[in-house]
Amino acid sequence: MSERRFIVEPRGLASGWLIVLVPVVSIILALIVGAIFLTITGENPVAVYAKMVDAAFGDGRAISETLISATPLILTGLAAAVAFKMLVWNIGAEGQLIFGAIFATGVGIWIGDSLPIYVTLPLVIAAGALGGAFWAAFAAVPRVYLNTNEIITTLMLNFIALSFMNYLIFGSTSPWRDPDSATFPTGRPIPESGLIPEFFNRLGYGIFIAIVLAILTWWLIGKTKWGFETRIVGDSPDSARYIGIGVPKKILGVFLLSGAFAGLAGSLFVSGTVGALDPRSLDLGLGFTGIIVAALARLNPIAVIPVAIFMGALSNAGPALQSIGVPPETVTMLQGAILIFAVAGEFFIVNRIRRPEKSPKPTSLPEEAAA
Amino acid sequence: MNDWWWVSTVTAGIILGTPLLFATVGEIITERSGILNLGVQGMMLVGAVAGFWATFNTGGTFGLILGVLVAMIAGALFSTIHAFLSITLRVSQIVSGLALTIFGIGLSSFMGKVGSEPLVGEPSRETFKPLFEGGITELPLVGPIVFGQDIMVYVGVLTVALASFYLFRTRMGLSLRAVGEDPASAEAAGVNSTIVRYVHVMVGGALAGMGGAYFALRVVPTWQDNPIGAAGWIAIALVILSSWRPWRAMWVAYLFGSAQFLQLQLQTLGEPWSNIPSTLLQMIPFIMAIIAMIVFASGKRARLLGAPAALGIPYFREQR
Repeated sequence: MSERRFIVEPRGLASGWLIVLVPVVSIILALIVGAIFLTITGENPVAVYAKMVDAAFGDGRAISETLISATPLILTGLAAAVAFKMLVWNIGAEGQLIFGAIFATGVGIWIGDSLPIYVTLPLVIAAGALGGAFWAAFAAVPRVYLNTNEIITTLMLNFIALSFMNYLIFGSTSPWRDPDSATFPTGRPIPESGLIPEFFNRLGYGIFIAIVLAILTWWLIGKTKWGFETRIVGDSPDSARYIGIGVPKKILGVFLLSGAFAGLAGSLFVSGTVGALDPRSLDLGLGFTGIIVAALARLNPIAVIPVAIFMGALSNAGPALQSIGVPPETVTMLQGAILIFAVAGEFFIVNRIRRPEKSPKPTSLPEEAAA
Repeated sequence: MNDWWWVSTVTAGIILGTPLLFATVGEIITERSGILNLGVQGMMLVGAVAGFWATFNTGGTFGLILGVLVAMIAGALFSTIHAFLSITLRVSQIVSGLALTIFGIGLSSFMGKVGSEPLVGEPSRETFKPLFEGGITELPLVGPIVFGQDIMVYVGVLTVALASFYLFRTRMGLSLRAVGEDPASAEAAGVNSTIVRYVHVMVGGALAGMGGAYFALRVVPTWQDNPIGAAGWIAIALVILSSWRPWRAMWVAYLFGSAQFLQLQLQTLGEPWSNIPSTLLQMIPFIMAIIAMIVFASGKRARLLGAPAALGIPYFREQR
C-alpha cells in the first residue's frame, strides 16, 4: 500500500468562521465560473454582473421585487432544511408547492367575497399548508410504514402535481379555470378578500409570515423537546429507538411539516404575487431552488432568510439580463454552480485535511497497515 | 397491414423510447456501482446542446457521428462533477445530483442562446434518417418496426446487449456489481472501488449525453430550450421499473415511448379518444413508477428486485 499524501478526518465541530466563509467562497467561485462562460461567449462579465446587482437592488422597486421572489424561497428553503436535517430526502417541494397553490386558490374561490379578509385570508394561507402536507403524505406514509425510498416517490409526485395543475387549467373546465379566459385558458382570480395586502410597491406582508416561520422553526428544532428528540432521530435512529422515542411518528411529523412549508410557499405565492392558479408562473423551479437555499444555509432555519433573499435577487435579475442581450438562463447556471460549490464546501466544513506525520507513532501502525 | 395504427405507434414508440433507453441504461450502470445520479436531466441537456452544436457546425453524415461523439464526451465530462463530489468528497449524492441537473439546465439553455450565431430556433443541419430503403422496409410488420429505423435505434439495442453482457457475464461487470453491493469487501478482493465508481458514473454520463443528442438530432431536430421534456427524470423512474436490468430497460423504454406517441395521437383519433385529457395521460409513467416503488421496492424488497445494496451510501475507506 502506497503512503497517503493527505489524511482526511472528520472535524469534531465545525468552526464558526468556516460556516460563513464556505458559502461566501462558493458564491465567488460560481461567479468566476459564470464569468468564464460569459467571456468565452463574448459577453462582458463585469457589465452583466453590474446589471444583475442593479436589477436586484438598484431602487426601491427592484428591492421589493427581490423580496417578493425571496418569500416563497424562504419557505421552500425551510421545507428542504427541516427534512434534510432529519435525513428525510423530500425533494418534492415542487409538487407540494403546487398542491399548496391548488388548495389555496380552491379555498379562496370557494369562499368568494362572502367573508371579510381577516377570515378568508388566513383560511387561504392555511389551506396551502394543508395542501402541501397532503401531497407530501403520498410519499411520507409509504416511507414511514413500508420503508419506501422517498427520493424517487417525491420526485415523481412533482410531475404528477404539475400535470394535475395543467389539467385543472388547460385540460378541463374546473372551478380553478377562469371561464372568462376565451383565447388562452388562465386561472380564475382569487377574490380581493383572499389576497395578501401590499405595503411596499408590490411587496406584500407574506414576507413577514415567511420570516416569522423561519424563526419559529429555529426555535422548534433548537429549543423544544420535540426538536431535541427529532434531532436525535436524525443523528442516530438506533439511539432514538433505544431511549424510547417513537421514530416513525417523528419522521412522519418532519415529512408533513416539510410539505406544509412547501405548500405555504405555494399559497403565499398565489395569494401574494399571482392572484390565481397560473401554471406558467408556478412552474419556476421554486422547490428545487429551495434545496439550493437550504444547502447554502447549511440547513440552519435562520440562515435560510438571507440566503433566500440572495437567491431571490438572482432570480429577479434573470429577466433583466435580456435587455442587454444576455440569456436569463445565466442565472440558472449560476445557481447550479453555487450549489455545486456549496456542496463541495460541505466537505471542508465537515472534514479536516492534514499531512500525515513524518514518523507515525508505533501505536497507529497496525491501523495504517490494515487500511 | 403496415397502415394499422399500432404499427405506426410501435415504430414511433421505438424512436421516442430510444433516448430513454440510452439514459436509463446509463443510469443502471452508474447505480450498479452504488452511485445514485439525479443529474440525468442535466447530463442529457448538456449532451443535447453539445451534440446539436457539433453537427450544426459540420453537417453531413460525419457531422452526425461527430455530434453523437461530442455529446457523449460532454455528458461524460459533465458527470465527473458528480463523481468528484460524491465519490472523492463523499457529499450527499442526492444534493450533488440535483446540483448537476440545475447547472445543466442553465448551461444548456445558456449555450443555446449565446455567440454570434445563437442555436435557438435553428433547425439541425443533419438529422438521423431510416437506415434501410426499398423492399425490406415494406415487409409486413417487421418492415417499418424493425427495418424502418435509423442507425441510433440499432445502436441502442446493441448498447443494451453490450451492457447486459458486461454487467452479468464479465469479470469487470462482476467487480462493478461487487462495488455496488459492498465496496469494502470488493476492495478486500483487490478492486479499486474509487476508480470503478468514477468510470461508471462517466459511462452513465456518456450514455445520457447520447440520449440527449438523439433528441436534438432526431426527435426534436430544431434547437429549443429543453428539447428533452422530462426524459431525464423519466429515465430515473425507468431504472426502477426495469429493476436495474438493461434488457428490461429496453422494453419499458419502448413501452413508454409508445405510450407517449399514443398520447399525442389520441387527439387526432376523434371521439371518444380525443376527450381523454393529455394532461392526465402525462401522469401515467410517474404514477406507475410510484406504484412500482411502493409495491416492489419497499424496504427489503428493493434488494430482491435488484437494487444495489450500497446505492447512495458514501464509502469511507479511511474509516474502515
